[in-house]
Amino acid sequence: MYGNAYIENNGQENKLTANEDPQKLAAFEARIAAGDKIEPRDWMPAEYRKQLVRMIEQHAHSEIIGSLPEGTWITRAPGFRRKLALMAKVQDEVGHAQLLYSAAETLGKSREDMLNDLINGKSKYSNVFNYPAVTWADSAVIAWLIDAGAIVNQLANSKGSYGPYVRALDRICAEESFHLKYGHDNVVFLATGTPKQREMVQEALNRWWEPIMHFFGPSDKMSVHTEVLMRWKVKMGTNDEMRQTFLDMYVPKIWDLGLTLPDADLKKNEATGKWEYTEPNWEVFKQVINGNGPCNKERLAVRRMAEEKGRWVRKALLQKDAAYVAPLS
Amino acid sequence: MEFTDKHVMGLKDLLYRMADDLLILGHRNSEWTGLGPILEEDIAFSSMAQDKIGQSLALYEILHELGESEPDTVAFTRNAAQFHSCHLVELPIGEYDFSLVRHFFFDHQSALRMDMLVETVVEPLQMVARKFRGEIKYHTMHADLWLKQLANGTEEAKIRMQHSINETFPYALGMFENSLYETELIESGIFPGEAHLKETWLQVVTDKLNAYGYSLPDIDQVIPVNGGRIGLHTEYLQPLLDEMTEVFSIDPSADW
Amino acid sequence: MWRLCRNYFYMKIDSLDPRIARANLDSNSQEGELQAMGHFQTYEVFEQKKRGTHHMHVGSVHAPNAELAMLFAKEQYTRRGQCVNIWVVQTSDILVTQYEDADMFENTPSKLHRDPNSYKVMDRIQAYKERQKNKA
Repeated sequence: MYGNAYIENNGQENKLTANEDPQKLAAFEARIAAGDKIEPRDWMPAEYRKQLVRMIEQHAHSEIIGSLPEGTWITRAPGFRRKLALMAKVQDEVGHAQLLYSAAETLGKSREDMLNDLINGKSKYSNVFNYPAVTWADSAVIAWLIDAGAIVNQLANSKGSYGPYVRALDRICAEESFHLKYGHDNVVFLATGTPKQREMVQEALNRWWEPIMHFFGPSDKMSVHTEVLMRWKVKMGTNDEMRQTFLDMYVPKIWDLGLTLPDADLKKNEATGKWEYTEPNWEVFKQVINGNGPCNKERLAVRRMAEEKGRWVRKALLQKDAAYVAPLS
Repeated sequence: MEFTDKHVMGLKDLLYRMADDLLILGHRNSEWTGLGPILEEDIAFSSMAQDKIGQSLALYEILHELGESEPDTVAFTRNAAQFHSCHLVELPIGEYDFSLVRHFFFDHQSALRMDMLVETVVEPLQMVARKFRGEIKYHTMHADLWLKQLANGTEEAKIRMQHSINETFPYALGMFENSLYETELIESGIFPGEAHLKETWLQVVTDKLNAYGYSLPDIDQVIPVNGGRIGLHTEYLQPLLDEMTEVFSIDPSADW
Repeated sequence: MWRLCRNYFYMKIDSLDPRIARANLDSNSQEGELQAMGHFQTYEVFEQKKRGTHHMHVGSVHAPNAELAMLFAKEQYTRRGQCVNIWVVQTSDILVTQYEDADMFENTPSKLHRDPNSYKVMDRIQAYKERQKNKA
């Protein structure tokens, strides 16, 4: 599960390709245009490597942090079926983090460096996980709609250019197939259940709609130009394109259950085929991504605690003569 | 052999203690998900927690066939005094040394119990025991490897683990608290009895722990922590159950 | 709950997650940095889905030694789908070729002697039969 990587260049396109050998660059770009994959030991522009590491690393952090709001409800899941499914789902998220850290490592950054950057706040993760899962219904909404958003991104990125990331995403997409079903199933039971259950899920939806609208990142008109990253198949679609895909697939399903969304202007323009909506508050988005959301401090404190509490275990197993080699693929 | 009422009560008692142990321990171990010391180990430990809950469900289903309520009702509406789990499984997760030692002690008991039940005359139980043999094999392999590796690690690790073994052993013995139906279970071929299981288990864990370099407290100096099998529990179980049933009890008649 | 100690304020985290609430975490804690190799070296994992098929590479695990690598690989890579056997190999033990040398794997056209399609004899058989017919 994750949101789009937050691209941080300042829009100077030529900066991305400056200082690169033009012949090597041309061969590299031709390979990508032909649909071939780039593998770890291939020549690649420095900026390609940098953007990919950041993107895959953010994705990995999102998985491991994402396991926390849903993990909130593991011990309280009602009934065996939900208990087992939620345990399996959250475990999968941890597994996905493992796959993604390994993919990012092939580009030359160690897992320890990535985890340290996470816990000291240097690296980002999907904003949506800085919000609390207040009720059981919140965990259901997350499992359905956040996973749905993540799958829209993941499907697009699985056609990207970097071999290890594509292979990790293929595996992730296969495992995710039950997550979406579980999430939808859960929301359906609540929406079609007792008045109390229905109220719980409607309130959760009202709470989560803004974070969900933020999920795909700032609107295109505010974003930096990303033509080179698109050409390199690092970015596979604009933020707005992804958001439109998501809205088109899921808003009808939400309305089908008789649930409402807290945006009176949300509707599909039948003429253009595009969804119209109230522009999300991007100031709030910026505040939260920079550390001022409701749960940012807690999320990092939990990761820190996990690393600290586990230190004696790892120390006990470390071999003195061990040497690091990046994973193969 | 014709089963009398007492035989059936003995069988139900056996099933309850097994299912309750597995549910509570699976629940406890799931508290480590996302918080484990190594990413890969987090995944492994979570898998085993799921396995245990799945096993408890299979046993509650047999109980349901014997006339008890549905598994969700049985698991999510009883209070502490009605649970037959031992004290060992309800203790908080503590640090990883405690959780691993509990895992070692419990899983060897569970493996041996299931092995014995492969021979039981109760067919549904026999089938369940056969079915879960494979996944339990991984659980004991996991426990053994961790205990072995930590014994040969740092001084700190060895001290922590030995301390946990010493503190946990009396609780572990509580797994074998006799039921009121030992004679009935043995004579009917349902189960060879807690005493036999304990003896076998003690041999296995003593050999392994000694081989890895740990010591086990002298069993004659230890008082087993009993009471769980007859519904007498520590102050930890009711809060655990309150948490476990928090959402379910919003409306037990609702479909979740 | 506040506790003053030099310039350091402890602020307990009140989490909605009961596990975290129990842990009495300090939101201002600076602990927990990982040392290098804190998560060990890597092992590559190969899985055999069914007897009779090849072991295939499925990914890697971090582990301090091969036995733990095996233990971890089992759960990370085989918890869904079929599997009957796994291998783990330390990544540093694997020798790899360079992609620049991929040209050495190309088959040049002059090796027709290994190409089954270059063996064509129908014309020859036909011609022989014609000659035999004409003799008679």
